[in-house]
Amino acid sequence: MKKQTFIPWIFLLPFLISLSLFFVYASMRALMLSFTNYNLFNDYTFIGIENYKALFRDSNFLFALRNTVFYAFFVTIVQTFFALVLAALLNIKIRGINFFRAGFYLPSVTSSVVITVIFLWLFQRRGMVNFILSRMQALIPSVLTLILIIAAVQTLLVLLEKRRGMPVKILELPLLITSMLIAGLAVTALNSFGIIPIPEFEEINTIWLNTRESFMGIPRPLWAIIIQNIFTTIPTLMLIFLAGLQDVPPVLYEAARIDGAGPYLQFRYITIPSIRPVLFLVLTLSLIGTLQMFDQVAIYGDAVPLQSVITLAYYVYNRMFPGGTLPQVGMASAAAMFLAVITIAAVILQRLLIKSEADR
Amino acid sequence: MRKLLLFGIVLLFAGFGLTAAGQAESVQQDEPVVIRIQGYGGQDPAIVVRLLNEVIGADLEKDNIKLVYEPIEGDYNAGLYNSLSAGTAGDILYVPVETAPGIIATGQIQPLNGLIDTTPFIDSLIEAYTINGDIFGIPKDFNTLVLYYNMDLFDEAGVEYPTDNETWSSLARKAEAISALGSDMYGIAFQPSYDRFGAFTFGAGWTPFDSQGKTNLMDPAFVSTFTWYTDLIKSGAAVMPSDLGQGWTGGAFATEQVGMALEGAWMIGFLNNDAPNIPFESALLPAADDGTKGNFLYTVAYGINRQTENLDAAVKVLAALTSEKAQQFILEEGLAIPSRKSLADNPYFKNDSREARANKAVFVGSSTGNVLGYQFGNVGTDWMTPINTAIVTVAAGEVSVQEALQAAQREIDEMMK
Repeated sequence: MKKQTFIPWIFLLPFLISLSLFFVYASMRALMLSFTNYNLFNDYTFIGIENYKALFRDSNFLFALRNTVFYAFFVTIVQTFFALVLAALLNIKIRGINFFRAGFYLPSVTSSVVITVIFLWLFQRRGMVNFILSRMQALIPSVLTLILIIAAVQTLLVLLEKRRGMPVKILELPLLITSMLIAGLAVTALNSFGIIPIPEFEEINTIWLNTRESFMGIPRPLWAIIIQNIFTTIPTLMLIFLAGLQDVPPVLYEAARIDGAGPYLQFRYITIPSIRPVLFLVLTLSLIGTLQMFDQVAIYGDAVPLQSVITLAYYVYNRMFPGGTLPQVGMASAAAMFLAVITIAAVILQRLLIKSEADR
Repeated sequence: MRKLLLFGIVLLFAGFGLTAAGQAESVQQDEPVVIRIQGYGGQDPAIVVRLLNEVIGADLEKDNIKLVYEPIEGDYNAGLYNSLSAGTAGDILYVPVETAPGIIATGQIQPLNGLIDTTPFIDSLIEAYTINGDIFGIPKDFNTLVLYYNMDLFDEAGVEYPTDNETWSSLARKAEAISALGSDMYGIAFQPSYDRFGAFTFGAGWTPFDSQGKTNLMDPAFVSTFTWYTDLIKSGAAVMPSDLGQGWTGGAFATEQVGMALEGAWMIGFLNNDAPNIPFESALLPAADDGTKGNFLYTVAYGINRQTENLDAAVKVLAALTSEKAQQFILEEGLAIPSRKSLADNPYFKNDSREARANKAVFVGSSTGNVLGYQFGNVGTDWMTPINTAIVTVAAGEVSVQEALQAAQREIDEMMK
């Protein structure tokens, strides 16, 4: 009996040692230091909750708080939604699906530092993002015309067929392909005769990074980080969802189809309830990950105004190694404690929400 | 099976024990005093090793000193503070000028007064490391900015080469003439950041910190320099490197779409390697229209760790690292400019090569006009960010000069509160 309990402990030992040293000890010590004026080199004294009070007088901390909270909630919601949609799409059985699965997963394989450096270039004033936006802007008239012509031709064809007494749907595929071909030819003709010209390539010179402009009250550089982070995190979450989706028994869908449920109803009443534990996992991982966002801010560094992108995790680092002055370990620890508290609070809140829906 | 496992574990621990014991023994057998230098990663480890092997190694061996270079990759400041606090820092440390006030404030850097004769070194360099009369570092070398220009483009545009007596207005005229060469041609590359732009503000008589230690971006000298700098970018006579897909003005210069660039001596090696076909020359930075030049002094010093157990040996190493022999080597390798006054008459500077001329211009730049250290008091490099943002946003026509500078001023005030 004794022997049986002894062996597992040996296997657990390395993990327990590192956990107690780097987590339990470190966080206890950080908690203790958050009540002191320690700067790495002095004999510290306890100063009560002065550090916590000072945090709320520091405008950088308040910026960090605003940025972190918005970032965490916005990114979590958007990336969870798109990850689920993408996973549902990749869950169908078609030829070469593995190729697409691997392809969509690639952004998550690349290290976030490398991706950030690449995005730094994409977001330059004459970078890829502005280039694509400029091109899209130039093509808007042509694209609108194309859509209008497709709609017109399609309506015409459907009406003709109906008159002949054929049971056609509005988006009948052969007709749609015909209308697309006709519209494509028409727009090409209109373009080449100059009736709908493709306008001179007008450059969009949006500054994404080094700017104080904001969009919907959120600094533009933070939007750049949001876009980048959604792009890189969706695939990881998608993979988790995909695993969850493949565990849903196919018989449930068969039964639903027999009862006449369409794709939306199947998704709403079979897929979502079946993957609720996975959804909880994804939301939790996503919340914790976004609340601790650090590397993008660190890499963007001097390329952006600090107040626009500073997050709580970066604030902690910035207090710890301010550059040019002594480390403010007390303030850094206090901010770290604050971050820990809101992280735990967010996860508990979300757990309560998801549970209450499950019990309904 | 279980026995085998236990046996394996025991064997593993025994192995660790043996290696540890072996290491302990080998330390005891080492007789020379080991001096550890903590410095930058990148190319520095290779340079120090070469310096050691080719120049100062033999002398140190005589004194029975063994030198070990330990690079800190990544955030040097964070690495240094951690190791100083933990007591694991090297005996000799790099002290970058921009973060020197903070590093010295830790109280972990040994004052060098009386240990090393600082008189042979350039005064302005020593000054940057002097606090209340105590000297905390011996600059290993330094750099200032010079104006590099592409002779081909000037010939093509039929414009006279820049001279050492250029002013802002004459520089702007020449830049405009070069940019007239084509739609994607620019007179000069301007980095939208204070670490280059600042040199011009010094020429206009501005100082980063006034007599009360406050930063005033609304000073007319600063505003006029700022307007001149951003107007040149807006008009297309100057270009920001990122708009050419480059990270720095050297990269922009190497594309041959830009006539001039402001960089230090580090530019020479880069151009020789990456753009060997560009016929470049150099001149002193242009002066404000009243004839005053300004420049930055970029430097890194060697400091000694106060906790070192081998102070005597560390001082010897420090002296060797900053000796004339070592500095001559650094100079001739084209790495940086020596920090000793006596090297002003160095025969190397009289060489008839563009490298020697550029190095000479960097050297002369350190004592021409208003030259200030690349230093930001107790705030550190974060101090620059609001100014950089102001340059970019104004150059892009997003906001007016007035608005941009007011926003930057608010942010800097907040930092220095």
